[in-house]
Amino acid sequence: MIHLELRQNSNWWTSLRSITLALLITAAFSIAVLFLMSDKPADAIWQMLTFPWQGRRMEVQFGLVLQQAAYLAVIAIGLSVGYRANIWNIGAEGQFAFGSIGAYAAYLLIGSPDAAWAFPVLLLAGIIGGCLWALIPAFLRVTCNTNELLTSLMLVYVASHLLTYLCIGPLKGDPKAGQAETYPIADSVQASKLISGTELHTGLIVLLVAFVILAAILLFTLLGYRLKVAQHTPRAERFAGFSPNNTVWLSFAISGAMAGLAGAVYLTAETGKLIQAENYLENFGFAAIIIAFLGRLHPLGILLAALMISYVNVGASYIQASLQVDDSVAELIEVVALFAFLGCAVLDQYKVKFKRTTVRAAT
Amino acid sequence: MNPETTLFLVNLLTAAVLLATPLLLAALGELVVEKSGVLNLGVEGMMLIGALFGYIAAYNFQTITCLEELIPGMCTKEQRVFTFPDYLLALVCAALAGAVLAALFGFLTQTLRANHVAVGLGLTILGAGLTNSLGSNFLGVNYTSVQVADHPEVFGQDILVWFSLVAVPVIWYALQKTRMGLVIRAVGENHDSAYALGYRVARIRFWCILFGGAMAGLAGAFIVLVHVDWKEGVTVGKGWLALALILFGTWKPLRVLCGAYIFGLLWASELRLDHLFPEYQLEWKTVLTTAPYIFTILVLVIISRNPRMIRQNAPASLGKPFNPPS
Repeated sequence: MIHLELRQNSNWWTSLRSITLALLITAAFSIAVLFLMSDKPADAIWQMLTFPWQGRRMEVQFGLVLQQAAYLAVIAIGLSVGYRANIWNIGAEGQFAFGSIGAYAAYLLIGSPDAAWAFPVLLLAGIIGGCLWALIPAFLRVTCNTNELLTSLMLVYVASHLLTYLCIGPLKGDPKAGQAETYPIADSVQASKLISGTELHTGLIVLLVAFVILAAILLFTLLGYRLKVAQHTPRAERFAGFSPNNTVWLSFAISGAMAGLAGAVYLTAETGKLIQAENYLENFGFAAIIIAFLGRLHPLGILLAALMISYVNVGASYIQASLQVDDSVAELIEVVALFAFLGCAVLDQYKVKFKRTTVRAAT
Repeated sequence: MNPETTLFLVNLLTAAVLLATPLLLAALGELVVEKSGVLNLGVEGMMLIGALFGYIAAYNFQTITCLEELIPGMCTKEQRVFTFPDYLLALVCAALAGAVLAALFGFLTQTLRANHVAVGLGLTILGAGLTNSLGSNFLGVNYTSVQVADHPEVFGQDILVWFSLVAVPVIWYALQKTRMGLVIRAVGENHDSAYALGYRVARIRFWCILFGGAMAGLAGAFIVLVHVDWKEGVTVGKGWLALALILFGTWKPLRVLCGAYIFGLLWASELRLDHLFPEYQLEWKTVLTTAPYIFTILVLVIISRNPRMIRQNAPASLGKPFNPPS
């Protein structure tokens, strides 16, 4: 049987070892999955690894990877704030949707002025939308002690149905479109392209700046330290005079704001209009949960994990097009990576020994 | 009572049983898991896996007899039936599939001591991903050509309905009145004391997790074999509702039963409000779909306003990491 022995000193070397092991396990499983799901596994593996160099235009593929990584990283770092303090907001998907709805509502209010301030106003409205939606579970947790994990998840279902309702009801756009959608927003308030031919746009710079600001707050300020205290010793948090309720408010507000910002950027840069939920939401909110844990709730780790996962995602959709491999391959690899990283984290704290368990008499 | 009202009520009750049974099955399994101090948030994923494997097993085990063969080798009219043992075999497959996924959860959280919440969420995402890819591989991209015969009935209801109703007193008795139940509760209340007494905490919890997975698998199988046909994400959040039900029932099997049927009745009556605004039917339907989730939130709020009730009944070690002294 496997026997665990507590390690006295854990340092960067033990962390590096467990991360390497986790990566190896993920790679082995990914290869196995591709062998099972593809007719030409060798081609599938090769193309998945090197897809940016497969087509003619490398910058397009890398652009796609960076674009997705930006959304995932921004949502994930917002979520990691709460997870550090054992506050479980798993409803980022709904907050993302409300960010988009908020931005669209602001567009309807201000119209389409040809002014530079219009784009930031839309993003601000998205932040507010996501934030308000996230504050519902926080409010219920603080006032009624309701389990925030379940309420935030239930609100995802509510938000996605509301989004669909808006698209088929009050904000219904072109009736001849194949899906329920609103009229597109004006070009003047859309994010503009940075490099022609790629998917990179000004919205991604906004996301990057938001990520860096929050990362700096978490790493270098008292607030970040306070969350660290809450993570490791919840009792010490109270003794130090930090209010647990304030931590709930704060972490939900931050994670909601980040998801809402991502939703607003998504509306202004990718789709340009609201679409019924099945075709609009791409599970960024749920993938971000995985990424937060893959990055061990550390900003740098989250950034790397987001890049890795979005590389896998874009690669999976590439081989779906070229080799007809179902792109749910990406989802499986994500979860395998999550389990490998969570499982291998045990090596940080414990020495693993294989020996026969001594029989202990149960009285 | 005029026959129309009677028919309406009968329909309502039938729909309520169909909606309540999977909730009850999954919640009872998770109740035992939580009593042993483990918070498994992967119920939804295990239900999906159980649903898919139950459906595939049922599809392969059903007996197809040809009624009409105009051209030799081409069946134009066929009859699909289940013999009772075949149906049971399909259910066993579903339970096993749920238990296998639960075993993965058990290995990660009990043997490797990973975070319960993270692994449970991962399990839900894994269940959705696996069923989407396997489902389209086994059953084809559109599932319309794949049909499963009607489920055999016992006393006018599916066997799982009776099984879930019998399971309520059995689980209550097993938890409250037997030595095994006492050990499970001891492990859930204070794992350190239980360990000091010589009980193998991780192993006991592992068995409870397997049981929870099997029950979730059965719940998923009920949805696809009795209620609706298989499609992607067929469980529509019922696994999460089951988790909410346990809070609603404050970890007591009988209250979980009542909760499941109240949920079922409300859900069923809400499905019948479709025709209230005929001119706005599509919009109204979409808004109405959010009702079970909003109702769940309201119930959770009402239940948790009384913190004493939760604190008295919740297993004290629920979801806390267990690090035995070595």
